[in-house]
This record gives sequence, C-alpha cells and structure tokens, in this order.
Amino acid sequence: MDELRMTDKKFWPPRFRKWSRRERENFKIGMLFLLPWTIGFLAFTLYPMLASLVYSFAVYHARQPLEWVGLKNYIDLFQDDLFWTALYNTLYMVVIGVPLTLLASFFCAILLNLKVRGQAFYRVVYFLPSIVPTVASTILWLWILNPQAGILNTVLGYVGIHGPNWMSNPAWSKPGLIMLGLWGMGNTIIIYLSGLQDVSVSLLEAAELDGANWWQRLWHVTVPMVSPITLFNLITGVIAMFQYFAQAYVFRGFQNLGYPLNSTLFYSVLLYQNAFQWLKMGYASAMAWVLFIIILVCTLALLKVSDKFTYYAG
Amino acid sequence: MTTIPAQYPDPRLTQSEEARQRARRKGIRNFFKSLSSHALISFFGLFFLVPFLWMLITAFKSNEDVFHTPPRWLPYDNVRVVVNGQELPLYNVITPQGEKQLAAVKIVEGVGTFVDPLHPDQVQEYEIQQGETKIATPVMHVSFRWQNFPDAMNRASRPSVNASFWVYFKNSLIIAFFTIIGTLLSNAPVAYAFARLKFPGRDALFVIVLATMMLPYQVTMIPLYLFFNNILHWGDTFLPIIVPAFFANAYDVFLLRQFFRTIPEEMCDAARVDGASEWQIFTRLVIPLSVPVLATVTVFTFLWAWNDFTGPLLFLTSPKNFTMALGLQDFQSQRTLVWNQLMAAATVFTIPIVVAFFFAQKTFIQGIKLTGSKE
Repeated sequence: MDELRMTDKKFWPPRFRKWSRRERENFKIGMLFLLPWTIGFLAFTLYPMLASLVYSFAVYHARQPLEWVGLKNYIDLFQDDLFWTALYNTLYMVVIGVPLTLLASFFCAILLNLKVRGQAFYRVVYFLPSIVPTVASTILWLWILNPQAGILNTVLGYVGIHGPNWMSNPAWSKPGLIMLGLWGMGNTIIIYLSGLQDVSVSLLEAAELDGANWWQRLWHVTVPMVSPITLFNLITGVIAMFQYFAQAYVFRGFQNLGYPLNSTLFYSVLLYQNAFQWLKMGYASAMAWVLFIIILVCTLALLKVSDKFTYYAG
Repeated sequence: MTTIPAQYPDPRLTQSEEARQRARRKGIRNFFKSLSSHALISFFGLFFLVPFLWMLITAFKSNEDVFHTPPRWLPYDNVRVVVNGQELPLYNVITPQGEKQLAAVKIVEGVGTFVDPLHPDQVQEYEIQQGETKIATPVMHVSFRWQNFPDAMNRASRPSVNASFWVYFKNSLIIAFFTIIGTLLSNAPVAYAFARLKFPGRDALFVIVLATMMLPYQVTMIPLYLFFNNILHWGDTFLPIIVPAFFANAYDVFLLRQFFRTIPEEMCDAARVDGASEWQIFTRLVIPLSVPVLATVTVFTFLWAWNDFTGPLLFLTSPKNFTMALGLQDFQSQRTLVWNQLMAAATVFTIPIVVAFFFAQKTFIQGIKLTGSKE
C-alpha cells in the first residue's frame, strides 16, 4: 500500500513517505493524547455534519425513514417568505446591531481608559451586566421595556419622550433587543480596553508634540492601532449574531415565536421552529447549511476587505 | 519725567511665585478635567448600573407595588397593623366622617370590610370604587420584601408541576459540575499534545481543531438531537449535555495550548533526559504549572454551562429536569406574570456568577483577554 502511494505523484498528501520508527512512536503517543478530541470530533462534529448534509437532501420527519428529494429543500427555502423574513431580521441585527455594539464598546473602553480615581469600580459596573445569564437579562429587559410599569419609558418620560410599545410594536422589537445586547457588551469593552492599553504611549506623545489634538490622536493613532481588535470583534460579533437565538426565544413571552408579527423571527429561530416544532428536519438541515455558507462567505469577505483597513504594528 | 528705577524683586522669588500660580492653574484644570471624566463615566455607567439595580429593586417589591404607575424607585409595601391578634393591611379610607386609616379585614367583590385599629370592635363596610373615585387606597411605606425569594424558589415554573426552582438550581449545579470536570479532564492532554509533542500530522490536525470553531451549532444540532434521543435514548436526561464536555472542544484546547507553549521547553527536555515519559511530564510538570489557566477554564466553563439555554431546551423536556435557564424561561412564558418573583428567581440565577466574578476577577479578565485579543 505504502509503496504504491509513494510512487503515485498525484496522491495527496504530496510529500508522503514512510515514517521512521521514531515518528511512528511519536504519532502513537500523540494520538493517545488526542484521543478525547478525536472521538469527540468524529462523534459530535464530523458525523453530525455529514448527517445534516445528507438530511438536507431529504424529507425527514424524525421517526419516519428518509425520503430523497434532491435539491427540493434548497429550492423551497428560497421561495419561502418566512426564510426571507428571517434573513432580513437577522441582517438587520448584523448590519445595525454589530457595528453599533462595536462603536459603543470602543467609546466605553475609552472612558474606562481615562486616568481617574476609582476606575476599577467603574470597570466592574460596565462589565457586570455581561455576566448576567442570557435568560435572566432578557427577562429583565422585558420588564424594563414594559410599556406600563417599565422604567425605560418612565425615564424617557422625564425628558418628555413618549416611549414606544417596545415588545408589541414590530418596528421597536429589534431595537429593544439591540439595547439588550448593548447592555451586555462587557466582553467587547474589555477586549477593546486591553487593546487601548497596548497602544504605545510614545506614539501618542509624538503626535501631541506635532500638535495633534485629542480627536486627531484618536482618529490617526488609536483607531488604526486597535484595528486588529476591531476586526476580531467584528468577525466574532457577526458570527454570533447570525446564530442569535436564546434572547429572541425568551423575548416573545407567551406569544408565538417571532412575536410581534415575525419581527423577532431570526434565522436560528426559524430553523429551530422548522426542526423541533414542525419536525421538518430535512428542511431545517438545509437551512443550517445555508447559514454555514453565509457565515463562511461573510467571514472571508470581512477578512479580505479588512486588509485595507487593518494595521498590524511590528 | 524721570523714571523711577524699578525695584526688581528677587528673581528667585518671582519664579517661585509664577510657578506656584502655574501649578495652581494646572491643578484647577486637572480638577475640572477629572471632574468631567467622572461625570462622563458615571453618566454612561447608569445605563449599565440602573437595569441591574432595577432587577434587585423589583425582586424586593410587594405585589401591590410591582405594577404601580409610574414605577417607584424603591420597593414599597402595604403597612400592616395588628388588630385583634390578626395582621391586617392598612388603608386610607374616605368615610362619611372624613379620611381615616382603617385596617382591611377582607375585600370581596369590590366591597371592603374594615376595622378601625383604635376601636377594634367597630366593623365598617365600604364599596372600594364609588363612581370615579377610589374610596380605599393602601397605605404604603418603603419596605424590602425578602419573602419574595423563598416564595420564588419554592414555586414551580408553572402551576401543577411537581418541581420547584430549588430543583432547577440543583439541576444547573449538577450539569455545571460535570461539565467542568469533563472539560478539565479532556482538554488538557489534547492541548498538551498540540503545544509540546512533535508528531507527524499534528499541525494539520490543529488546523481542523481551529476550523471546527467556525462551524455553527445549528449544523450539528439536528443529527445530535436525533442521535442522543433515538439511538442512545438519552432524551430528557442530563447526558446529552454533559457527555460531549468529556471530549474536548476547540476553544479550551486553543486557550490551554497557548498557555502550555509559554512553559519553557527546556524544563520538559530536562525531564525527558531524566527518563520521564510524556505522560509523566504532562501530569507532574505541566499541570502543576498551569493552575492559573486551569482556573480560567474552570470559571469560563461554569459561566458557559450555567448560562446555556439551547442545550437544555433541546434535550430536557420534563420540568423536574429543567435547569435554572429553562425554568426561568418557562416561568416567564406564563400568561400571568409575577414580576417580583420572576426577578427574585433571576437574581438567584445570577448570584453564583457574580460571586464567582468577585472571587476570580483577575481570572475573568485574563480569560477574556486570552481568548480575545491575543493571537
């Protein structure tokens, strides 16, 4: 077998050769250490991945046998109004929610990087909401956004603004969820803060000596210096937002998924609904693969575009 | 006009005077600068602080106060007085003799039976609502209702269910505990192999590890659900949530590998020369040196397992198996909401994490930085 592979130039991997005894020994030890991951990868990643790819070409109602339908699921998907609604809702969150979160986190990180006393206390205050469990924080915000007894509309009332019906008005449900996200953005703030602390002081001082004001130093020194962190936060934020689920699931209260008027029907919510409420496992698998491809394409596109906007020091 | 020769003061004096003035000006400027910084940070900090406090405040509110409009910033409760050995709520009642504070014995179908605490033998009946005016309004005072916490924990997420939030709390603890054990046991050796062992195929495999981070859970969710439920018959048990933790995951492997690579290679080599096997180097040398990073993994695994909603939602169906996340969601999906108890349960759900945070603040921040910004 090995002889055959060695002579076959086209065979992959290209530089295949017989391992020495030592290499074989090392490989054995290495694989023993890797055993937990290997089993986990095969059983909980590779197998389900292939299985869902197979299901996506079939009609599959859990306990009944598979029925092959070829590309039908994918074709149906693109003709499904709910799919487009869910995609629109998800893109709304990705396009508005993620950049807003980045901007707000960067701003908060700048505040928390100011040289003032008691900064440790402020940092805890800004960070604490991000460790409140998702279900708890979502319920808390439902209470805050409550149109009658909620404090948000009360506080808005102090300044003369008549707050909307956050949970039952389809135009305001997504902004409400974005606000919930902003409340728990502590992680992003911390990552930005550690980036700000790495910005070289000498560079900022040099800019100051050259007569750059605060804004110019921020825009021309700090922002480029933390641009790799912005890229990281952007990509992880986009990936997470495409999978947005728990908050939306809790947010509708006792109403149907997507309440009000499918305005919180996000991609993963629709996928869950198809798979576990309507038991359309094949259709949901097709949705999952489309999601995977969307995420891949977005990530690669962001990486490609970021070449122009990201500065790597050193 | 003759110029009077100026009496120049001692130059050193002028300088120090000027310097003192400059220093004072600078001091004033710095004072205002720091004042405005504090003001800015505090102002935006309100956005993070107030909702958090609102959760606590609501958790302490009485039922009468929860839906008070406009909402009040402190928890209020009905004043209670003891009349004839009974504890009764006190009301402001507009009686034909003028406004009086009376204790309500009972209020049935809009008719209240009141007694005057000063004359306990005189029972009076009034209709609560007479036309537009409310005859009786409860007398409120600031009071923290601690009873909400036991009330919330002793109840189930929905009526007619034989479970309580204590059970959900216990279930969450069990799942978090085994997830932590599994994560620590399985990830460390894998990370060590990727960090320090040299064997053919290692780097290719590591690329696969990193690639699995890209895979959304939605892709593997459905086959895993069918596999655990229909093939292994693990439906409605903790096993589908706990068992995968014993088989390593990309994030923790990556985190631990980054740390293991900072341990000097020479130490491992020295141990190798002394005839130690790789397993001995790993367990006797690398693990004891890695306590800080293992603490980070422990804390983050706890955070993740405690917070997890999707896993329990997919696999746990009967209320006796619910976790806190699931129980709270179920409680919240009822038509009639008891917001004070809901917030009390949410507070109890949050407390373990806040406690963990204050005990391991450095570990938290370090973990975020390790998984976040570095490399």
